[in-house]
Amino acid sequence: MTALDPTTAQLPAQPKGGTPRSGQHTRLWAALLALPTGWMVAFFLSSMVIVVLLSFGRTQADGQPVFSTRLDNYAQLWDPLYLRLFLRSVSYAVATTAICAVLAYPVAYVVALHGGRRKNLLIAAIVVPFFASYLIRMYAWSALLSDDGLVNSLIVRLHLGGGVQFLNTPYAVIGGLVYGYVVFMILPVYAALERMDTSLIEAGKDLYHGPWRTFWSVTLPATRAGLFGGVLLVFLPALGDFVSAQLLGGPKTFMIGNLIQQQFLEGQNWPLGSAMTVAMMIGLTVIMVGYLRATATRSREAS
Amino acid sequence: MTPHPALSRRALLQGAATLGGVAGLTALTGGCAYLPSDAATTTTALPASAKAVIDGDLVYFNWADYLDPSVFTGFEKEYGVKIIQSNFDSMEGMYAKLQAGNQYDIVFPIAKWVQRLRAEGKLRAIDHAQLSNADQVFHSGSYFVDPWYDEKSAVSVPFTVYKTGIGWRTDKVGTMTNSWRDLWNPEAARRIYTLDDQDEALAMGALLLGYDVNTAKQSELDEIKKLLISQKKYLRGYSSDDVNNMVGGNAWIHHMWSGDFLYLRTSLVKKPENYDFQAPKEGVPINSDAYAIPVNAQHPGTAMVFIDYLLRPEIAKKNIEYLSYPMPVRDAMPAFEALAKDVPACNVELSELESGNVFRNLSADAVQRRTATWTDVRAS
Amino acid sequence: MSARSRRVERRPAVAVAVTVVFFAWLYLPIAAVVLFSFNSVKSLSTFRGFSTRWYADFVHDADLVTSLVASIGIAAVSAVGALVLGTMLALGLSRIRSRTGRAVGAVTLLPLVTPEIVTGVAALLLFTGVGLKLSLVTVTLAEITFSIAYVTVIVRGRLAAMSTEVEEAARDLGCTPWQALRLVTLPTLVPALLGAGLLVFALVFDDFVLAFFTTGVSPQPLPVRIYSSIRFGVSPAINAVGTVMLVLSALVMVLALIVPRLWGRKSSSLDLITGA
Repeated sequence: MTALDPTTAQLPAQPKGGTPRSGQHTRLWAALLALPTGWMVAFFLSSMVIVVLLSFGRTQADGQPVFSTRLDNYAQLWDPLYLRLFLRSVSYAVATTAICAVLAYPVAYVVALHGGRRKNLLIAAIVVPFFASYLIRMYAWSALLSDDGLVNSLIVRLHLGGGVQFLNTPYAVIGGLVYGYVVFMILPVYAALERMDTSLIEAGKDLYHGPWRTFWSVTLPATRAGLFGGVLLVFLPALGDFVSAQLLGGPKTFMIGNLIQQQFLEGQNWPLGSAMTVAMMIGLTVIMVGYLRATATRSREAS
Repeated sequence: MTPHPALSRRALLQGAATLGGVAGLTALTGGCAYLPSDAATTTTALPASAKAVIDGDLVYFNWADYLDPSVFTGFEKEYGVKIIQSNFDSMEGMYAKLQAGNQYDIVFPIAKWVQRLRAEGKLRAIDHAQLSNADQVFHSGSYFVDPWYDEKSAVSVPFTVYKTGIGWRTDKVGTMTNSWRDLWNPEAARRIYTLDDQDEALAMGALLLGYDVNTAKQSELDEIKKLLISQKKYLRGYSSDDVNNMVGGNAWIHHMWSGDFLYLRTSLVKKPENYDFQAPKEGVPINSDAYAIPVNAQHPGTAMVFIDYLLRPEIAKKNIEYLSYPMPVRDAMPAFEALAKDVPACNVELSELESGNVFRNLSADAVQRRTATWTDVRAS
Repeated sequence: MSARSRRVERRPAVAVAVTVVFFAWLYLPIAAVVLFSFNSVKSLSTFRGFSTRWYADFVHDADLVTSLVASIGIAAVSAVGALVLGTMLALGLSRIRSRTGRAVGAVTLLPLVTPEIVTGVAALLLFTGVGLKLSLVTVTLAEITFSIAYVTVIVRGRLAAMSTEVEEAARDLGCTPWQALRLVTLPTLVPALLGAGLLVFALVFDDFVLAFFTTGVSPQPLPVRIYSSIRFGVSPAINAVGTVMLVLSALVMVLALIVPRLWGRKSSSLDLITGA
């Protein structure tokens, strides 16, 4: 990260100590850091600590969740049922991420390299819909995809078939997730393409003949950073989403997000919900570490 | 020598620690809500009823779209107060907000929640003598003079009554057997929905197996779980949006609330004759909800006036026609009968409320066993 | 040479086709929302004629309007709060070179890699635990916490691209570090700050998950209201609300495009959002 560029560093702990100026300076930066750091500790870290503590808790007879030191909540989660659910959620999130990447490249490519003066306008046109209520857009999809909805009546009218059951399938859930998060893939990929030296593509075309091979050998490696960023930005929220499965899902599309939400709002079992949250974070950390390692190796090999 | 940099780093850490301490320490030591306090809850005397006199704007808490909007404007105009609305989407959500100390003047709990809130001292008494229209619901012989969930209706006034049954498309489905088994009807495979509601879904399974709708026996719950999982291959989904699932053509058979069905049939569809409702022979859950005034209400007087207003037969009639749910307001009952004349199964006999099929309050353990069962069904 | 540049100019047909389909797909549900917000009947599947009755419903529903105002308020306060805290953090992190500093840097980015449902659940437990009554204040606190990281990332990016020479020159001319920061660094950051502020505003305005877990009584943030009505079937008034939200967001985006230009800069805040 450029912010850690050593040339701009004012190494404060150098043996000579600070000149008055750099001492003053360091104090200023430290003072600047104190408030936001305190804020994050007070509102973010402490809340995470409470989640972990409460995951060992129990529910009192009066329905009040309280701290305790029991492993019951985790024991309850130790069930193939929940492992399957976790794997299902991960597979939906992976599929979502993959589809987003496949969509993002051509779109970002066309906008970045062939957008001309309308580039900004096109990016704005991609971003604006994502700020119109996510819930309403999902609901609109459920209306459009319903059996008597617009999409199906078009299919019937164009004699493409007798209507398709889109709604309440895993495909609908993944489609909803893609729709919800694709922008987080397009933006970083677009940024990476923007920064890329287009003469590389030219050279690639001369070298490899053919756009596909050029894409694999030149464009993709050159925009790897953007892709990796996008993968994280799509995968994480998709894994925790509960709206898509709730509005577009079927009998077997329950995701982790739904499970956790149910414990907090309908089940009123906060300790169990906390344990689920912690378990999800652990699962996620494992996946993330694996992912970061893989991408780090990939980058090293490439350079 | 000016302060050593390390000092300032310490200062930074101290600053952060102090701030973090504010929330962190309170959470872990002093004012933390999660410290065990299993002491038996003391039952306090019922807080006295307010007089039905306007004492400010009305803070209203109900399901979304669960009263005729013209009733609000009518009340606001007549009494010169504003109604500040907010909505809940589940009873648990409503309870959580009350538990969190939110102040409402009127809430709309389902029967068993009235019982629970009353037991926990969260509701204020409602003096029937303050309500000029009390006779409409509390006339002698009315079931609601002394309902199971609220002794002598001391803290609640009944709102709607309803049952849960099955709505279906007569133009799509040929054979129905007037049984909950119809939710497994292969003719409508993948066009069937079960309500996304723990009590309702478990009750459906329990009734089919001949168990109590409130069962919390592990062996019975396990059987219900197996039964409900076996239904998945016929199901299209779990949803409480029964009306739109039927209107959108996605559902041919829907586990459904009677009032929603009637609303759908009378006001939404072009060919009402294609829609029918059955109350399965194994028995159906019967439910009712009520008006109640939380003990920390800031304007209980206005709430009393509002309840009295809702009991006026002409206002109740408006609400019945808007919601399609029957209300036990004596002079408004004919309005519902007219509405339900083609689908008598939607009608709720008040005597049915005395049957065993009402959702009751259970111990925390029992509730958790039931929740775990439902979670497993949904998760599998 | 000309043949060469023509080859660059040639548009990849497949990619263009995908892009066209993508835009159609992107806007189809939005078009449906806008269209049905003007439907004259209470149907979400058949359009029977133009009417503004749902907008009238919306405007006359005092509660819905209060929710809209509340959401705008939450978004505005969160944007300012996150901007102040996030900028302080970015400035501090970009200059401090210690292990503590780097640890702080990593911790503050955690919200970016935490699924929102986790943040929401944690915030609910924290606020309830310390006995803080759930309200618009708790929603705002949670939203600020979640948004600080966005501002920090954007401002750090801009700081990294900025030369420190001017600031150093200012200090050589006798400015205190604070003066140098105030007179030199901050003014240069203005476009980045505006962009980050608008981005946070837009994100918070539409945020549902955090608001859902941390909201109190009335007024509820708009997305929470929308969620309760969606679960049990929707009135077309919701489409009117959605259209209004869309128009508001579009306005914010237009501002994000235009304001930095008024500042006399070629780059717009969009570059900040895209990171280009």
